[in-house]
Amino acid sequence: MKATALLNAALDELLERIRPVLALVSNGRRGAGAGVLAGDGLVLTNLHVVGRAHTVQVLLEDGSRYDAPVIARDPHVDLALLQIPANGHPAAVFSSSRPRPGELVYAFGHPWGQRNVLTGGVLSAVTSLRGWHGEVPVLRADVQLAPGNSGGPLLNASGEVIGLNAMIFGGDQSVAIPASLIQSFLAGARKNQRMQAAL
Amino acid sequence: MSNILVELSNSLAAATEKAAASTLLVNARRRMPASGIAFAPDLVLTADHVIEQEQDITVLLPDGTKAVAQLAGRDPGSDLAVLRLEKVRATPAEPAMQASIGQLVLALGRPSDAGIEASLGVVSAMGGPLRTPQGSIDKYIRTDATPYPGFSGGPLVDAEGQVVGVNTSGFGRGVVLTIPAEYAWKVADQLARSGSVKRGYLGVRSEAVELSEAAQKELKRKQASGLLLVSVERKSPAEAGQLIVGDILVGINGQPVPDHDALFAQLTGDVVGKSVPMEVLRGGKPLVFMVEVGARP
Repeated sequence: MKATALLNAALDELLERIRPVLALVSNGRRGAGAGVLAGDGLVLTNLHVVGRAHTVQVLLEDGSRYDAPVIARDPHVDLALLQIPANGHPAAVFSSSRPRPGELVYAFGHPWGQRNVLTGGVLSAVTSLRGWHGEVPVLRADVQLAPGNSGGPLLNASGEVIGLNAMIFGGDQSVAIPASLIQSFLAGARKNQRMQAAL
Repeated sequence: MSNILVELSNSLAAATEKAAASTLLVNARRRMPASGIAFAPDLVLTADHVIEQEQDITVLLPDGTKAVAQLAGRDPGSDLAVLRLEKVRATPAEPAMQASIGQLVLALGRPSDAGIEASLGVVSAMGGPLRTPQGSIDKYIRTDATPYPGFSGGPLVDAEGQVVGVNTSGFGRGVVLTIPAEYAWKVADQLARSGSVKRGYLGVRSEAVELSEAAQKELKRKQASGLLLVSVERKSPAEAGQLIVGDILVGINGQPVPDHDALFAQLTGDVVGKSVPMEVLRGGKPLVFMVEVGARP
């Protein structure tokens, strides 16, 4: 097989792996964002997608729809965690390897409300951004994003989540929250959950 | 999962790492720093327009070492400049002597101490010669890889991590061009040796004009146009070589000169100080004058 055919087959495989773990998140107002299934019924998204809502709507690839309470939020890293019933949904794989500038990356989301759109590019920089609450480590990529990509995954060539797309600069530069920050946010949220369950 | 996509991704990341080892931060202006390419252990190639101060230039090496650099030479015509490192040594980049349209390329830059930055694209077009605001370049490359702020002076690299050319936004109008490595390395060598690039100078103003059928018959070749001399500066190389207003310049050194681009392509540094045959039409008849080409002031 020619290299281009092999590449297309590999991209199809990546898409099939990631499609079931992508959610559409809507806070009932105009516009919607994306979310990633993180296991145990947890859905990860950007805080700016959720806004001040206590409950948001989550739509999955299989057509199921949930009213999901917002169970954790962190404005410092623009992350929020939603809870849906944990009935055997697949979960995304988060990358534990060091992101490398120049590696292929793919953004998956719902730009301008169009469902399940994949855009590609390379990882531009492993850097940091001065936010409202101090410096935040971020990944920058040269992938095309639009409103509706927020909360969606930035994937590496293996289909692992290396970040959560959070911002757009000038149409062809995206900013993503790196997987390492997501993991510690998830760990913190899970710990809180256990503490609340024990009370 | 290991497949061709992962392999491609790994080789692009490896190419980035390899070229990043020769890509420096160049701090020679008040605004954001720009980028540079080590082309010898002690020499750094960068864009001329990012050098806004000739003193107190610093560079940041890929390993995080900050060092002072001296300006060794600059050429606004091709928007290239060379810096000399004194105490530290850099890893020289490997130039790629060829590029082809459609090939994968990465634009790299080091505009901050946070590390290397990259964007992916293809070689979109190749062309030249090109007249620039202050001179000309032989050849240029265009790419659709996004040039981020501070990428000027940084490399465009191929999938092997070899440098295809030097990216610059210095030719104005918001256009980013890549100066091919082959040409850039040649200019850099001259700048490192002599501090400037010589360009040929005749001291004429000219206008492209059509050549009549009769004139082409006299020339014994098909050539649709030539350059009508509309003024000849006093004490210029052209005047000393007996060229006069009204002559139509049609050839230099045996090469036809149908337009200004062809004239610029002939007036390189190589012909400065040499006596070069200039073919003109005077009164409809072809004549050849020997003109000693000067150096452009």
